[in-house]
Amino acid sequence: MSRKPVEIVASAVENHGSGREAVMEMLTDVNRELGYIPEEAIRAIAAAVGVSNAEIYSVLSFYSFFSTEPRGRNIVRLCKTISCEMNGSRDILAALESELGIKAGETTPDRRVTLETTSCIGLCDEGPAMLVNDTPHTRLTPEEARRIVAGLE
Amino acid sequence: MPNISVTINGVTRSVREGVTILEACETAGVEIPTLCYHPDLSLAGNCRMCLVEVEGWRTLAISCVTPVTPNMKIRTHSKKVRHARRTVLKLLLAAHNVNCPECERNKNCELQELAEKHNITINEFQTSPKPVSFEEASPGVMRDNSRCILCTRCVRTCEELQSVAVIKPVGRSKEVRISTFLDRGLNEVPCTQCGQCINRCPTGALFETSEIRQVWEAIEDPEKFVVFQTAPAVRVGIAEALGFPTDRSTGKMVAAIRGLGVDRVLDTDFTADLTIIEEGYELIDRLKRALVDGDPESVLPMTTSCSPGWIKFIEHKYPDLLPNVSSCKSPQQMFGALAKTYLAGKESVDPSKVICVSVMPCTAKKFEKERPEMRDSGFKDVDFVLTTRELASMIQEAGIDFANLRDEKYDKWMGDSTGAAVIFGATGGVMEAALRTAYEVVTGQEIPFNGLNITPVRGMEGIREASVTMPEKMARGYEFLAGATLKVAVAHGLVNADKLMDKVRAGEVDYHFIEIMACPGGCLGGGGQPIPTSPEIRQKRADAIYAEDAALHFRKSHANPEVQLLYAEFLHEPLGHRSHELLHTHYRARD
Amino acid sequence: MSEMKVLTADQQPETGAALKRALEMTAADVVFEVRESGMRGRGGAGFPVGIKWNLAGAASGTDKMVICNADEGEPGTFKDRLLIEKYAKQLLEGMTIAGYAIGSSRGIIYLRAEYTYLIPAITEARRELIDRKLMGSYILGGSFNFDVEVRPGAGAYVCGEETSLIESLEGKRGEPRNKPPFPVNSGYLCRPTIVNNVETFVNVPHIILNGSDWYRELGIGDTTGTKLFSVSGDVERSGVYEMQMGSTIGELLELAGAKDVQAVQVGGASGATIAADELDRRLSFEDLPPGGSVIVFNRSRNMMNVLENFLEFFVHESCGQCTPCREGNVRLLDTARAIRDGRITSREELKDFFMLAEIMKLGSKCGLGQTSPNCFVDIVTKFVELPGGKGGM
Repeated sequence: MSRKPVEIVASAVENHGSGREAVMEMLTDVNRELGYIPEEAIRAIAAAVGVSNAEIYSVLSFYSFFSTEPRGRNIVRLCKTISCEMNGSRDILAALESELGIKAGETTPDRRVTLETTSCIGLCDEGPAMLVNDTPHTRLTPEEARRIVAGLE
Repeated sequence: MPNISVTINGVTRSVREGVTILEACETAGVEIPTLCYHPDLSLAGNCRMCLVEVEGWRTLAISCVTPVTPNMKIRTHSKKVRHARRTVLKLLLAAHNVNCPECERNKNCELQELAEKHNITINEFQTSPKPVSFEEASPGVMRDNSRCILCTRCVRTCEELQSVAVIKPVGRSKEVRISTFLDRGLNEVPCTQCGQCINRCPTGALFETSEIRQVWEAIEDPEKFVVFQTAPAVRVGIAEALGFPTDRSTGKMVAAIRGLGVDRVLDTDFTADLTIIEEGYELIDRLKRALVDGDPESVLPMTTSCSPGWIKFIEHKYPDLLPNVSSCKSPQQMFGALAKTYLAGKESVDPSKVICVSVMPCTAKKFEKERPEMRDSGFKDVDFVLTTRELASMIQEAGIDFANLRDEKYDKWMGDSTGAAVIFGATGGVMEAALRTAYEVVTGQEIPFNGLNITPVRGMEGIREASVTMPEKMARGYEFLAGATLKVAVAHGLVNADKLMDKVRAGEVDYHFIEIMACPGGCLGGGGQPIPTSPEIRQKRADAIYAEDAALHFRKSHANPEVQLLYAEFLHEPLGHRSHELLHTHYRARD
Repeated sequence: MSEMKVLTADQQPETGAALKRALEMTAADVVFEVRESGMRGRGGAGFPVGIKWNLAGAASGTDKMVICNADEGEPGTFKDRLLIEKYAKQLLEGMTIAGYAIGSSRGIIYLRAEYTYLIPAITEARRELIDRKLMGSYILGGSFNFDVEVRPGAGAYVCGEETSLIESLEGKRGEPRNKPPFPVNSGYLCRPTIVNNVETFVNVPHIILNGSDWYRELGIGDTTGTKLFSVSGDVERSGVYEMQMGSTIGELLELAGAKDVQAVQVGGASGATIAADELDRRLSFEDLPPGGSVIVFNRSRNMMNVLENFLEFFVHESCGQCTPCREGNVRLLDTARAIRDGRITSREELKDFFMLAEIMKLGSKCGLGQTSPNCFVDIVTKFVELPGGKGGM
């Protein structure tokens, strides 16, 4: 049973305090648990910190990892930067898109997977590479990539 | 700070240590173009328009944020600087909806002016403006992000001056836009509609929701009886809006409005005086109930209610303090309610044919008139609200030669004004007017300030306080106030209101009466006033307001002959039955 | 893979030895030693570390902060990832020594969200150091306290810029600040703050143990010590290599096994693009600024695709705050595409865009916009044939 946004924010406040400098951690906690940051969470964070809702929305909209739209239970972030591209990330993307039946930036209708492309993830020596949630997968082949996402719950 | 020596364009000068390059150049009479800089706001350093060359620096310096250092050698129009400015301008213009003739700010746009000054005639960057995005549903303030240059002056205004913080940069890089919580409309977020963002926007990305078309249609409709009311601050703003130096131009303004073809030109000052009477009696009543009767429902301090931006602010942010707000409607709404009752009777016209148009220094008034509770006359009390800028635009459209107009007078029944009403336009003015009247009511004597000028409540300090001690001998019925000290405070700019209300909420202050105006400087700095604004400009308008007060025959609201007639014939007594019906209102908490 | 050695030896100093030595010195002497070593920041900008520490140490203000920039985001860089995986204890020891040196008891590691999986390595190292009294309260039984927490980034390259990083730590948009004030005087929560890269902190224990003279000898001229390079692209052995400062780029490529080289990107997307005839250039601040990323392109690669990839990166990662960077990168990307598609056909047509690149370098607020045009200038100048010769001015 997943927790409500306000509950996640409440425990984030407990863990990190309610100072302005805890905002990134609050957002990260909500984003990790729910896959996105819903309106109630933004309101709760704004109230806890004592700033406007717009301010929290402004902050989170700056960061690629945060989203206000519901996303999949799993987030696949394929590196699109040059070293991975030279190692064939475009083929990996094509394989992922066909396996999942969605384009980069989209979520499968069953909300199983959100597929994103991302700036360099620091795995250039082992590209093409992607992060599935927080876990790196390296030296991908199209087959391997298909197998990985097919296995996601 | 001691003085240091710097060289600007080869000329060595002595400047105060700690000033910025921009300030040093300004002192030296060297102009540096700016866009994101505004004298009312913190420094952003974003637009990169004010780049200058400093000898020995790897990069160009941002003059608005960089402090001068001893022996700094500054060049403000070297080749590099010129190229940088031109490049910045071209980049901004390429991303801008350059459709100047259709823009509210055509000929009063800082981007346009700089483009002209820098002779930008060809832009090698292909134009790709953001899509046009009008804010249709907001009653007072409209946005068009296709004209936005992301200088963040509006963002800083909303946060730093108004403590509202509903507009923020959203997104990153080329996706960045000035927006609201979840990109909602301004009418769906706690925007006060104060319009201070409009006053500081260098382009036309923010502007008022125009009602010019509707007003012309009403004027042109022979069936309609069009009544104009003009707020106190408009008379010191209209000349400026038409391109003349700041001056009080009440008579010319009346003539110009009459020239538009309206049926009656009347004065919001009339209901400003009326507000003072109603609000003054309300204050005395609250004091009596609190001090004598021990009535727990009589809440102090009482705050003013004339500023609709302030009212919306407190409804959003301090709903628990709403009982502190005076129940008096604002002068605009009192006027509307009386125009369709009292005035319609006096003029023998069908109230359903009366169209009440307000000219206001304000955009929040456009929101206020839409409040569902503002229909006590049986009709919508105020039909349309024009800002000072919109009135100027209509005067220009009608081809009226404002400079050569002869002064004219307001029409009768609701056209009399006192100096007390005029100073409503400046921060502290309502307080001063209220004290002039309330003191006299409770003591039977004039308030003991030289020339009725209650200087402690004047000025531009964000929060000011004063106290007035009552004499031992009081007018009959007010003995309970003998020797009492009335403590008052004045705040302007919602950031100051915010500070003050925090203290009220915490019980840290013991004021009896607080005047709050949403806009810096009061209504003279309102969101509907001429653009640009700055502390100097607002001071000039304030000087004009106080000059008008000094020049008027009647200086106290209760001396207004037409207000006296109104009570004698229609209202009968302050806080009476009809007053409650037409002139008082209530508020509600908002999310 | 992984040739990584740190300061050229696989054998690493005993954990805590450097800290022990540092605590026997005065704080001023520790700063002095680091300053004498001539070490410059390993994050890319190359600001002298000792000077930074000295300024922060001398700054008035309490609650001074030691911040580790682990927001490694430059395309082609992964050395900090490997350092954290392998040398987290050295990193924490380096931060602790920095804390002692500037008079700070609090450190933060700002870790990019993409490296969340590295948190356990840091947490375990911290726990061990605290157990061994090498961190935490009463370090080594003395009166010095120092502890470190890990704080998350959330996917914004610009947060590698130190003032953006501080803004982000304060819970704000990662937009660079205006300077002054500098972080050494007013950084995180207005406290005197040093921000140093992972590799910088990992170097510190070595400097304290082996002395500044030893460190200086590892380099060339004013570029002292060694440098870790993340090598990727068209090489046989991609990985992290430690080179003495002053080595040539050719020597590095030799180690990594590069063949048929057309171009090398040194210092990541924001660094310099050099051609095959420049491989004898030296990795030093005097010649080829030694950023941590080296990407090799062989002759089969279309450099215009490379340029497009880099500029797409910058268009995505600009904070959007200042005009030259926000608008300029978009224009450079448009232009790169126009060249690739043959819509720009002469040198003359590029003149204005070279001017734009120059103004971005001179007028952008932070390092991102000041360096993002480098790839445009280098690649278009060196690798694009247009009527009138190569693309440059």
